[in-house]
Amino acid sequence: MDIFLTSLAGQLQPMVLLTMVVSVVIGMIVGAIPGLTVSIAVALAVPVAIFLPTDYALVMLASLYAAGVYGGSVSAILLNAPGTPASAATAIDGHQMARQGLAKKALNIALLASAFGSMFSILLLVTFAPLLAKFALRFGPVEMAGLLLFTFTIVGTVSGSSMIKGLFSAALGILLATIGSDPMIGVPRFTFGNTSLLDGLTYIPLLVGLFAIAEVLKMAGEGFPRQSHDVELGSENKARNRLTGSDMKAISMPMVRGSIIGSFVGLMPGIGSTISAFLAYADIKRSAGSTSKVGSGDIRAVAACESSNNATGGATFIPTLALGIPGDAVTAIILGALVMLGVQPGPLLFVTNPGIVYTVYIVLFLSTVMMVIVGLVATRALVYVLRVPNLYLMPIVALTCAAGSFVVRNNVLDTFVMLGAGVMAFVFGRVGVPVAPLLISFIVTPPFEEAVRQSLAYSHGSFSIFVTNWFSLIAILLSAIVVVLVALAQRRRVIPA
Amino acid sequence: MRNLIAKIGLAAAVALAPMSAFADWKPERPINIIVGFSAGGGTDATARLIASSAQEFFEVPLVVVNRPGASGTLAAEIVAGSEPDGLTLLVAGGSESTSVPNHLKTNYSLDQLRGVIRVNREHMVIVTKAGSGLKSAEDIVAAAKENPGGLTFGSSGPASILHSAFLVFAKQAGIEMTHVPFQGGAPALAALLGGHIDMTILTPGDAKAQSEAGNVNLIATTSDRAPQLPDLASLSELGYDVNVENMKGLVVQADTPDEVVQYLHDKFKAAMESETFESLAGRANIQPAYLNGADFDAAMQNMSKAIKEALSE
Repeated sequence: MDIFLTSLAGQLQPMVLLTMVVSVVIGMIVGAIPGLTVSIAVALAVPVAIFLPTDYALVMLASLYAAGVYGGSVSAILLNAPGTPASAATAIDGHQMARQGLAKKALNIALLASAFGSMFSILLLVTFAPLLAKFALRFGPVEMAGLLLFTFTIVGTVSGSSMIKGLFSAALGILLATIGSDPMIGVPRFTFGNTSLLDGLTYIPLLVGLFAIAEVLKMAGEGFPRQSHDVELGSENKARNRLTGSDMKAISMPMVRGSIIGSFVGLMPGIGSTISAFLAYADIKRSAGSTSKVGSGDIRAVAACESSNNATGGATFIPTLALGIPGDAVTAIILGALVMLGVQPGPLLFVTNPGIVYTVYIVLFLSTVMMVIVGLVATRALVYVLRVPNLYLMPIVALTCAAGSFVVRNNVLDTFVMLGAGVMAFVFGRVGVPVAPLLISFIVTPPFEEAVRQSLAYSHGSFSIFVTNWFSLIAILLSAIVVVLVALAQRRRVIPA
Repeated sequence: MRNLIAKIGLAAAVALAPMSAFADWKPERPINIIVGFSAGGGTDATARLIASSAQEFFEVPLVVVNRPGASGTLAAEIVAGSEPDGLTLLVAGGSESTSVPNHLKTNYSLDQLRGVIRVNREHMVIVTKAGSGLKSAEDIVAAAKENPGGLTFGSSGPASILHSAFLVFAKQAGIEMTHVPFQGGAPALAALLGGHIDMTILTPGDAKAQSEAGNVNLIATTSDRAPQLPDLASLSELGYDVNVENMKGLVVQADTPDEVVQYLHDKFKAAMESETFESLAGRANIQPAYLNGADFDAAMQNMSKAIKEALSE
């Protein structure tokens, strides 16, 4: 307890708090810019952070991380251009709300849900970290293959109205995901001898193209229409944008469910917050029933997605701190920074350096609180972005997208990937093919292929390994049941028509 | 006649011009230090360490440029195909130099790069799961001989230096094991602790932390003894002729003239002897290991040769 209080006192210094505010603001801005992601912000902060005292460095990195994920949802809601991949699911309902003049409400719900998700996972981290980390270790390649198969089927239910068009989109995503080095032996696939393609199509530029560039092209095709919705904050609008008690009641369960899904995904290596947000979206869509507004501006969908992706962010600290195994790219960078600060992360961190562990807890907690404060202030100003005429706003979006795509690897090829994806998504929009299945299958395919082929490596090529393992057997059976149920539901919908 | 002498003089001047230009060669434009990995990783740390401590010895800016992609081979390809003007340096000595070109077709070879200086080295430690019954290198060899291909080793990716180190060990011990690649070292460690693979390779720092927590058995280092783990024997001490490790240093395009390489070497060597370097290296947990350009080249060639032999069955 003494160590805890010392750590807490250390964080409540004016300079530390100032570092926190600045980092939260920068994190939000970077997160909001399509193409610039949290990992870039954290990576760029490391060279600065290693010259700071440990407390300041941790505050800086954790605040950037917490705020960046929320920042991504700002542009997702306002511009339908998710700033980070994790916010792609938020854009579906969040942007619809903005179009209905509920931008401020959507932003506030996203902020609340983000904070709730973060707090939920921090609580898990503080209370059950060693236990949960041990549990996560039991998921080897075979279990992961089953889990990812199930994920595939669940998020497949987000395919939109037409199953054929959804499947087409998903299949294209799988095809695009196979570009690059084979995960087992490293032979290039579909790279045409271009070394820049060995890592596959980089996913930030792809995402930015699919959403932001497609939106810009759509607007351009319509001659940059004036904002159709009224963003004048009149008294009536103010009332509509106010969060009521019944709103809070409506979003409380989706936030809890989203946080549980998000935390579970965060424990598993290699799935990530984009998928957790889509899983939460699929879950809310199913549980809300067929009469719900999910897909056309439902507050519950925004709440579920945002709590889920933020919970994933917090939960990745569980294996990071309890085992010394980073849960994702950002925590890997933070671990690297800890090493440079003279702290050797590992399973004994709790014993050898409890101060650091408590500092991380407190920093994560305080930066979430700070994010809410800064966010509430910023929301008032941010909605005015919608008053900027599209004729000026959209070219700026296109420019930041191009720059952001380039910055990921300092590679011009990625800018072309972004353009290509943008044109493709624009055409898809015209012919009514949904883009989300493509993105989802593009993200799930590589870890799924890796897990399946790792499993086959130690079964020496025998597929029986997937049915003799009880977890993967259950996952296969559940997936089959979901597919059958969805197919039956589709038939019922088709026959009476 | 005067005309002829003038002509000879001119010809001589032309012929000597490049020589004299190189003799007191000095960079006149910024020097780019290319890193094949993202900002925030180990290779990036080496680059920023050497760049920030060497800056005071150079009149032109030293710019660290991250060109991540394809396990560092994208950056290696860029430098191998660059102008031999000494203005484009690569942080090399790891997978992209000694390992990948032996496994896969790359658009460059180690011969197209020329060492300037070796900055640091990183030992690699083979570990198994605690309580697995594999407590020593002999245990591993015995188990593998009993059941060829039955033991699995995890690496940070196909063709990585971790993959190669296991292949060289297997070749030297005359055993056969199954490779299970992961996307990086962290998931491989998670798979080891979960009991899904039999062994993997860690840095000495990670190995020490996991071993003190009772999670892993330390088997051996793959080069010589690591300063962080002075009691752990190396594979070569145990009778397996293995010398594979991660090195980091600066290289340039192979056709870069001697004078240019010498100039760069001298400046960076002075940087390595500076106090800034010493304090930053200590802070970043980087183990300095100076070698001159020619010796660095020889070290990389030796490792590459051993890996190539292990791959040719």
